[in-house]
Amino acid sequence: MTLRLAFCAGLLLTMSCRPASPAPRRYVVEIKQMAFVPAVLTVGPGDTVVWINRDLVPHTATATGATPWDTGPIAAGDSSQVVVSLGGRSPYACALHSTMQGQVIVR
Amino acid sequence: MTRSSIVSLLAFSLILPLGLSAQTAAPDLTDPEVAHVAVTANSIDIDLAHYAESRTRNTDVRQFAATMITDHSAVNAQAVALATRLGVTPADNGVSRSLVADAATARTSLEHVRGRQAFDRAYIDREIAYHQAVLDALDGLLIPTTDNADLKALLQQVRPVVAAHLGHARMLRTRLGA
Repeated sequence: MTLRLAFCAGLLLTMSCRPASPAPRRYVVEIKQMAFVPAVLTVGPGDTVVWINRDLVPHTATATGATPWDTGPIAAGDSSQVVVSLGGRSPYACALHSTMQGQVIVR
Repeated sequence: MTRSSIVSLLAFSLILPLGLSAQTAAPDLTDPEVAHVAVTANSIDIDLAHYAESRTRNTDVRQFAATMITDHSAVNAQAVALATRLGVTPADNGVSRSLVADAATARTSLEHVRGRQAFDRAYIDREIAYHQAVLDALDGLLIPTTDNADLKALLQQVRPVVAAHLGHARMLRTRLGA
Protein backbone atom coordinates (compact mmCIF):
# COMPACT_ATOMS: atom_id res chain seq x y z
CA MET A 1 0.00 0.00 0.00
CA THR A 2 1.27 3.42 -0.83
CA LEU A 3 0.90 6.04 1.85
CA ARG A 4 0.11 9.51 0.63
CA LEU A 5 1.23 12.15 3.05
CA ALA A 6 1.19 15.91 2.96
CA PHE A 7 2.76 18.28 5.45
CA CYS A 8 1.82 21.85 6.30
CA ALA A 9 3.95 24.83 7.27
CA GLY A 10 7.60 24.93 8.17
CA LEU A 11 10.52 27.29 7.85
CA LEU A 12 12.96 25.53 5.57
CA LEU A 13 11.69 22.57 3.58
CA THR A 14 7.96 22.26 4.00
CA MET A 15 5.52 19.64 2.93
CA SER A 16 2.40 21.49 1.82
CA CYS A 17 -1.28 20.66 1.98
CA ARG A 18 -1.80 22.84 -1.09
CA PRO A 19 -2.77 21.15 -4.34
CA ALA A 20 0.19 20.10 -6.45
CA SER A 21 1.44 22.52 -9.08
CA PRO A 22 0.10 22.04 -12.63
CA ALA A 23 3.16 20.17 -13.83
CA PRO A 24 4.85 18.72 -10.79
CA ARG A 25 7.74 16.38 -11.13
CA ARG A 26 7.97 13.09 -9.31
CA TYR A 27 11.25 12.01 -7.72
CA VAL A 28 12.01 8.60 -6.30
CA VAL A 29 14.32 7.84 -3.41
CA GLU A 30 15.02 4.15 -3.18
CA ILE A 31 15.71 2.70 0.24
CA LYS A 32 18.04 -0.20 -0.37
CA GLN A 33 20.93 -1.80 1.45
CA MET A 34 20.02 0.31 4.47
CA ALA A 35 20.62 3.61 2.68
CA PHE A 36 18.64 6.36 0.92
CA VAL A 37 19.52 6.46 -2.78
CA PRO A 38 20.15 9.20 -3.69
CA ALA A 39 21.12 10.43 -0.26
CA VAL A 40 20.81 14.06 -1.37
CA LEU A 41 17.92 15.06 -3.64
CA THR A 42 17.26 18.49 -5.11
CA VAL A 43 13.66 19.24 -6.13
CA GLY A 44 11.42 22.15 -6.91
CA PRO A 45 8.39 23.52 -5.06
CA GLY A 46 5.32 21.41 -5.77
CA ASP A 47 7.30 18.34 -6.70
CA THR A 48 6.58 14.97 -5.16
CA VAL A 49 9.17 12.79 -3.46
CA VAL A 50 8.44 9.08 -3.19
CA TRP A 51 10.40 6.80 -0.90
CA ILE A 52 10.32 3.17 -1.98
CA ASN A 53 11.51 0.58 0.53
CA ARG A 54 13.38 -2.22 -1.24
CA ASP A 55 14.93 -3.62 1.95
CA LEU A 56 13.86 -6.59 4.04
CA VAL A 57 12.98 -4.42 7.03
CA PRO A 58 10.74 -1.39 7.62
CA HIS A 59 12.09 2.15 7.46
CA THR A 60 10.97 5.74 7.84
CA ALA A 61 12.03 9.07 6.35
CA THR A 62 11.87 11.40 9.33
CA ALA A 63 13.00 15.02 9.40
CA THR A 64 15.83 15.76 11.80
CA GLY A 65 15.97 19.49 11.14
CA ALA A 66 13.89 22.37 12.43
CA THR A 67 10.80 21.50 10.42
CA PRO A 68 9.14 18.26 11.53
CA TRP A 69 7.82 15.83 8.96
CA ASP A 70 7.66 12.05 8.94
CA THR A 71 6.56 9.43 6.46
CA GLY A 72 5.84 7.01 9.28
CA PRO A 73 6.85 3.36 8.94
CA ILE A 74 7.30 2.18 5.36
CA ALA A 75 7.02 -1.60 5.23
CA ALA A 76 9.29 -3.71 3.05
CA GLY A 77 8.13 -3.34 -0.53
CA ASP A 78 5.91 -0.37 0.33
CA SER A 79 6.27 3.32 -0.44
CA SER A 80 5.32 6.72 0.92
CA GLN A 81 5.28 10.11 -0.75
CA VAL A 82 5.23 13.78 0.15
CA VAL A 83 4.56 16.94 -1.82
CA VAL A 84 7.21 19.58 -1.36
CA SER A 85 6.82 23.33 -1.17
CA LEU A 86 8.92 26.39 -0.38
CA GLY A 87 12.68 26.19 -0.39
CA GLY A 88 15.60 25.18 1.74
CA ARG A 89 17.30 22.12 3.06
CA SER A 90 15.76 19.43 5.18
CA PRO A 91 17.97 16.69 6.61
CA TYR A 92 16.23 13.48 7.46
CA ALA A 93 17.00 10.01 8.80
CA CYS A 94 15.38 6.66 9.33
CA ALA A 95 13.90 6.77 12.83
CA LEU A 96 14.52 3.03 13.18
CA HIS A 97 18.11 2.96 11.89
CA SER A 98 20.04 6.04 12.93
CA THR A 99 22.92 5.37 10.54
CA MET A 100 20.63 6.00 7.56
CA GLN A 101 20.59 9.70 6.67
CA GLY A 102 19.51 11.82 3.73
CA GLN A 103 18.67 15.35 2.69
CA VAL A 104 16.03 17.02 0.51
CA ILE A 105 16.95 20.37 -0.97
CA VAL A 106 14.19 22.53 -2.41
CA ARG A 107 15.31 25.04 -5.01
CA MET B 1 25.28 -26.52 -4.41
CA THR B 2 22.66 -28.93 -3.12
CA ARG B 3 19.45 -27.87 -1.43
CA SER B 4 20.70 -29.32 1.84
CA SER B 5 23.97 -27.43 1.67
CA ILE B 6 22.18 -24.21 0.81
CA VAL B 7 19.92 -24.46 3.81
CA SER B 8 22.82 -25.59 6.01
CA LEU B 9 24.79 -22.53 4.95
CA LEU B 10 21.91 -20.25 5.84
CA ALA B 11 21.53 -21.84 9.24
CA PHE B 12 25.28 -21.77 9.79
CA SER B 13 25.23 -18.02 9.26
CA LEU B 14 22.71 -17.72 12.03
CA ILE B 15 24.50 -19.88 14.59
CA LEU B 16 27.99 -18.45 14.09
CA PRO B 17 27.55 -15.63 16.58
CA LEU B 18 26.10 -17.97 19.12
CA GLY B 19 29.20 -19.93 19.96
CA LEU B 20 30.71 -21.27 16.77
CA SER B 21 33.65 -19.72 14.96
CA ALA B 22 34.06 -19.14 11.23
CA GLN B 23 36.64 -21.91 11.20
CA THR B 24 34.16 -24.45 12.48
CA ALA B 25 32.75 -26.79 9.87
CA ALA B 26 29.07 -26.40 9.11
CA PRO B 27 27.07 -28.96 11.07
CA ASP B 28 25.65 -31.88 9.15
CA LEU B 29 21.93 -31.43 9.56
CA THR B 30 18.90 -32.42 7.60
CA ASP B 31 16.92 -29.68 5.91
CA PRO B 32 14.06 -29.80 8.46
CA GLU B 33 16.59 -29.58 11.29
CA VAL B 34 18.42 -26.68 9.69
CA ALA B 35 15.16 -24.81 9.18
CA HIS B 36 14.43 -25.29 12.86
CA VAL B 37 17.88 -23.95 13.75
CA ALA B 38 17.32 -20.86 11.61
CA VAL B 39 14.00 -20.07 13.21
CA THR B 40 15.39 -20.79 16.67
CA ALA B 41 18.41 -18.53 16.19
CA ASN B 42 16.27 -15.59 15.12
CA SER B 43 13.75 -16.22 17.88
CA ILE B 44 16.50 -16.25 20.49
CA ASP B 45 17.68 -12.78 19.50
CA ILE B 46 14.14 -11.50 19.43
CA ASP B 47 13.54 -12.94 22.90
CA LEU B 48 16.64 -11.20 24.26
CA ALA B 49 15.40 -7.91 22.85
CA HIS B 50 12.10 -8.43 24.63
CA TYR B 51 14.01 -9.06 27.84
CA ALA B 52 16.05 -5.91 27.29
CA GLU B 53 12.85 -3.94 26.84
CA SER B 54 11.68 -5.19 30.22
CA ARG B 55 14.92 -4.14 31.95
CA THR B 56 15.93 -0.87 30.39
CA ARG B 57 14.56 2.58 31.11
CA ASN B 58 16.78 4.15 28.49
CA THR B 59 14.73 5.42 25.55
CA ASP B 60 17.48 4.77 23.02
CA VAL B 61 18.13 1.23 24.25
CA ARG B 62 14.41 0.52 24.24
CA GLN B 63 14.13 1.77 20.68
CA PHE B 64 17.14 -0.29 19.64
CA ALA B 65 15.62 -3.43 21.15
CA ALA B 66 12.34 -2.73 19.38
CA THR B 67 14.19 -2.39 16.08
CA MET B 68 15.96 -5.70 16.69
CA ILE B 69 12.59 -7.35 17.23
CA THR B 70 11.14 -5.84 14.07
CA ASP B 71 14.15 -6.49 11.85
CA HIS B 72 15.03 -9.98 13.03
CA SER B 73 11.38 -10.92 12.73
CA ALA B 74 11.49 -9.74 9.13
CA VAL B 75 14.68 -11.72 8.45
CA ASN B 76 13.14 -14.71 10.19
CA ALA B 77 10.16 -14.43 7.88
CA GLN B 78 12.54 -14.60 4.93
CA ALA B 79 14.21 -17.71 6.38
CA VAL B 80 10.82 -19.32 6.87
CA ALA B 81 9.83 -18.36 3.34
CA LEU B 82 12.98 -19.97 2.01
CA ALA B 83 12.29 -23.13 3.97
CA THR B 84 8.75 -23.14 2.65
CA ARG B 85 9.93 -22.77 -0.93
CA LEU B 86 12.26 -25.70 -0.31
CA GLY B 87 9.44 -27.77 1.15
CA VAL B 88 11.10 -28.05 4.55
CA THR B 89 9.17 -28.62 7.79
CA PRO B 90 11.31 -27.46 10.75
CA ALA B 91 12.35 -30.27 13.12
CA ASP B 92 13.92 -29.89 16.55
CA ASN B 93 17.49 -31.12 16.82
CA GLY B 94 20.66 -31.02 18.89
CA VAL B 95 21.96 -27.78 17.43
CA SER B 96 18.72 -26.01 18.16
CA ARG B 97 18.76 -27.33 21.70
CA SER B 98 22.37 -26.19 22.07
CA LEU B 99 21.46 -22.73 20.85
CA VAL B 100 18.63 -22.54 23.35
CA ALA B 101 21.01 -23.61 26.12
CA ASP B 102 23.62 -21.01 25.09
CA ALA B 103 20.96 -18.34 24.98
CA ALA B 104 19.83 -19.30 28.46
CA THR B 105 23.41 -18.86 29.68
CA ALA B 106 23.65 -15.43 28.07
CA ARG B 107 20.28 -14.50 29.48
CA THR B 108 21.35 -15.61 32.96
CA SER B 109 24.51 -13.54 32.66
CA LEU B 110 22.48 -10.47 31.83
CA GLU B 111 20.02 -11.22 34.60
CA HIS B 112 22.87 -11.04 37.09
CA VAL B 113 23.88 -7.57 35.94
CA ARG B 114 22.71 -5.12 38.58
CA GLY B 115 21.81 -1.53 37.82
CA ARG B 116 19.95 -0.22 34.81
CA GLN B 117 22.92 1.56 33.27
CA ALA B 118 25.16 -1.47 33.73
CA PHE B 119 22.50 -3.61 32.11
CA ASP B 120 22.19 -1.25 29.16
CA ARG B 121 25.94 -1.40 28.58
CA ALA B 122 26.05 -5.19 28.91
CA TYR B 123 23.16 -5.67 26.53
CA ILE B 124 24.58 -3.38 23.88
CA ASP B 125 28.05 -4.94 24.29
CA ARG B 126 26.50 -8.29 23.55
CA GLU B 127 24.68 -6.92 20.53
CA ILE B 128 27.88 -5.42 19.15
CA ALA B 129 29.69 -8.74 19.49
CA TYR B 130 26.74 -10.59 17.99
CA HIS B 131 26.40 -8.42 14.90
CA GLN B 132 30.16 -8.18 14.36
CA ALA B 133 30.38 -11.97 14.34
CA VAL B 134 27.55 -12.22 11.83
CA LEU B 135 29.12 -9.57 9.62
CA ASP B 136 32.49 -11.35 9.67
CA ALA B 137 30.81 -14.61 8.76
CA LEU B 138 28.89 -13.00 5.89
CA ASP B 139 31.96 -11.29 4.42
CA GLY B 140 34.54 -13.99 5.02
CA LEU B 141 32.61 -17.14 4.42
CA LEU B 142 28.98 -17.03 3.53
CA ILE B 143 28.60 -14.60 0.63
CA PRO B 144 31.87 -15.54 -1.15
CA THR B 145 31.18 -19.26 -0.98
CA THR B 146 27.52 -19.22 -1.91
CA ASP B 147 26.70 -20.34 -5.44
CA ASN B 148 22.93 -20.36 -5.29
CA ALA B 149 21.70 -17.05 -6.71
CA ASP B 150 18.66 -16.80 -4.45
CA LEU B 151 20.61 -17.50 -1.29
CA LYS B 152 23.43 -15.16 -2.29
CA ALA B 153 20.88 -12.42 -2.94
CA LEU B 154 19.29 -13.01 0.43
CA LEU B 155 22.63 -12.95 2.24
CA GLN B 156 23.57 -9.77 0.39
CA GLN B 157 20.31 -8.20 1.52
CA VAL B 158 20.89 -9.30 5.10
CA ARG B 159 24.44 -7.95 5.21
CA PRO B 160 23.58 -4.21 5.22
CA VAL B 161 20.92 -4.86 7.84
CA VAL B 162 23.52 -6.43 10.10
CA ALA B 163 26.01 -3.66 9.35
CA ALA B 164 23.43 -1.00 10.18
CA HIS B 165 22.59 -2.77 13.43
CA LEU B 166 26.27 -2.88 14.29
CA GLY B 167 26.72 0.81 13.54
CA HIS B 168 23.61 1.66 15.50
CA ALA B 169 24.80 -0.41 18.47
CA ARG B 170 28.25 1.20 18.42
CA MET B 171 26.80 4.70 18.33
CA LEU B 172 24.52 3.80 21.19
CA ARG B 173 27.31 2.22 23.20
CA THR B 174 29.36 5.42 22.88
CA ARG B 175 26.46 7.44 24.23
CA LEU B 176 26.06 5.04 27.15
CA GLY B 177 29.61 5.75 28.31
CA ALA B 178 31.96 3.65 30.41
